Amino acid sequence: MTDPDHDIEQALASLRPRAPGPAVTARVARGLDASSSRRGVIIAWSAGLSALAAALVAAFVFLGGVAEPEAPQYQLVNVEQSRPDVQFFRPVQMEDGSYARPVRVRWQDTTRWEDARSNTRLINYRPNDQLALLPLETN
Amino acid sequence: MHDAYSGQDWRAWFAEHGARLRLIARQWTRSEADADDVLQEAFVRFWKHQRHLPGNPNALVVTSIRRSALDLLRRGDRRTAREKVVGADMETVTWFEPEADPRLAALADSLKLLPAEQREVVVLRVWGDLTFDEIGEQLSISPNTAASRWRYAMEALRKHITARTHD
Repeated sequence: MTDPDHDIEQALASLRPRAPGPAVTARVARGLDASSSRRGVIIAWSAGLSALAAALVAAFVFLGGVAEPEAPQYQLVNVEQSRPDVQFFRPVQMEDGSYARPVRVRWQDTTRWEDARSNTRLINYRPNDQLALLPLETN
Repeated sequence: MHDAYSGQDWRAWFAEHGARLRLIARQWTRSEADADDVLQEAFVRFWKHQRHLPGNPNALVVTSIRRSALDLLRRGDRRTAREKVVGADMETVTWFEPEADPRLAALADSLKLLPAEQREVVVLRVWGDLTFDEIGEQLSISPNTAASRWRYAMEALRKHITARTHD
């Protein structure tokens, strides 16, 4: 025998809440970083390994191969999220006969780091493009 | 002081649980921007002062979110231009990622239609992973009341979904 409440609970649990935006993540990172006084951790945490790799490559380019005893310490200074561009398309018919309207949402995340010592900065642009189907009710 | 979770990477923990924590914060705030503010303040406050405490860190973070949300409400109607901008975008801001399954999409819509006191119990149980005892402590109600609100909410959700399916 199946518990109907359990079915709904399971369905609810399968819904995926939206993650905090990059600005919130960066603010939390700054808060934790200020408390722990561990500089530099924020880079890897907020932007991931790709940003760290970009920082290392850029540092190499900016410094022109000059022998530096210490690696540059980039600090996160700004994170922005552009206003989303929403496009609605003509409704389409699904396999089960219902209708849905395709919606495309595009926005851009921009993250900026600076190294005060070498007066260099890194800017990472990340375009986002999501396509979703909004179910339509027909009478 | 003993730090029960000294080895835990809290940044990774936040990255994993941030989405559901934000949904919880949204239940006690009036806008997406307020939910973001509350989440940030609550998590940093928890990390600074409570991460070393024994017990379930999840429940402690939820408590911190509740406290920060109430603090924000007490600070009054500081309606800002930023919120007005966010308000204009409300149609594009949803609590959940888009769902291809119509039943799940209907469920997400139906959740918003629940009375606030039922919805917060549902969110705390499903995404807060709290027991009725813990929910009762959070909301200053008895566990029986929490369970009762849960049952009403399940019944209402079932009716909503059935109605939507039969439309």
